[in-house]
Amino acid sequence: MNYQFDFRFLEGSFGALLDGLRVTIELAVASNLMGLVLGFALCLLAMSRWTIVRWPAQLFIEFFRCTPALLQIVWFFYCVPMMVDVFIDPILMGVLALGLNLTAFNAEAYRAGVQAVPKEHLDACVALGLKPWQRTMYVVLPQALRTAMPVLMTNGIGSLQQSALVAIVAVADLMYVGKSLATEAYRPLETYTVVALIYFALSLPIAKLVHVIERRQDLAVKR
Amino acid sequence: MQLDFSAVFPYWLVLLKGLALTIAFTGSCAVIGSLAGFVLSLLRMSPSRWMKAATTLYVEFFRGTPLLIQLFWVFFCFPVVFHLPLPPYVSVVISLTLYMAAITSETFRGTLKSISAEQHDACIALSLSPQAKILYVIFPQALLRAIPPLLSNVVSLFKESALISSVGVADLMFVGQNISNSTAKPVEFLTTVAIIYFLVAFPLTRLVGVVEMRLLRRYAY
Repeated sequence: MNYQFDFRFLEGSFGALLDGLRVTIELAVASNLMGLVLGFALCLLAMSRWTIVRWPAQLFIEFFRCTPALLQIVWFFYCVPMMVDVFIDPILMGVLALGLNLTAFNAEAYRAGVQAVPKEHLDACVALGLKPWQRTMYVVLPQALRTAMPVLMTNGIGSLQQSALVAIVAVADLMYVGKSLATEAYRPLETYTVVALIYFALSLPIAKLVHVIERRQDLAVKR
Repeated sequence: MQLDFSAVFPYWLVLLKGLALTIAFTGSCAVIGSLAGFVLSLLRMSPSRWMKAATTLYVEFFRGTPLLIQLFWVFFCFPVVFHLPLPPYVSVVISLTLYMAAITSETFRGTLKSISAEQHDACIALSLSPQAKILYVIFPQALLRAIPPLLSNVVSLFKESALISSVGVADLMFVGQNISNSTAKPVEFLTTVAIIYFLVAFPLTRLVGVVEMRLLRRYAY
């Protein structure tokens, strides 16, 4: 290999990459907030006693889990404006698509957590005369959140990576900026390497944190 | 707005061809990738620190970056680095395989850990060579226990394979998007493509549960 690496041309585009990075982080954080909140709600719906509530929730989960994220994003960008006939901000649309995708995955993660709540706790809630919403908010949610945390965080990293897909529908995130820089400067090797390293640097600390939490949970179970 | 799903039917053959390509790519990369993933997981548990560090870095890197950028990297950078022109489908197979190897190695690592220490001791007591131990004792068990998570990995690979449309391989996603652009009927065609993906992936995810219940209870534990 006798290729001359030249990272200097990237100095001038530092600001552009930073702007892209900001959009990527915005997308990831917003979709994660959405996924964490709506995921729990969807999980409760999917575990509901009534079939008429359970089935649509289940269908939603399965549909988002069994189709490609790219297709969901493209679908949202092409079809939603056509169907509702209004212009929606591309970033908002990206958050919506990524967030709903994450909601489906998080609902599955929460489900395991909710099922792990001991039945005695629910009985205790009845004995204490707690209302159903109090039981859900103060007894079930904290415990489910704790059990599901590693999976939720892994899903969160996944959502950060899925956010690169919005580049295909021309939202100016990190991936999109990298793509246009690579084409402009005709130096794909350096640009894509740098962009990949930025994504890696974002997700590695979270992945390490997940390992730490998992290890501590394993220890707690053994004790 | 008016939806007209009958417009989809004249294109069923093209969509089917796209699906065939998607499945071909998924299948081949799943097989090669899982084998590579198994080897990778063995290397990751090797006593050599360098080997461990290198394979861990590989796995973390491929799990920690978007597949899209891996695809672009292989597609644009391999020809520059190695001075050989790669047809799109080769670079796609390379990157999907590298990705699959990284995610399945984590799966195998989990199942390798679940094989009890007594079995390793027994292999020593029977004085099996390391190759024989891996080939006849460890691999069959690890593979059997890994089937359910491997199936989930295949489902995610199947979904992620939609990304290969972005480097111009005419898979189901590419075909669907092309038709929806040229007919200006995105809602009908993209929805149809989504349903096709769903119809393939959903039974596979159900299969995971069935395999877990039936197969594993009978043979693995």
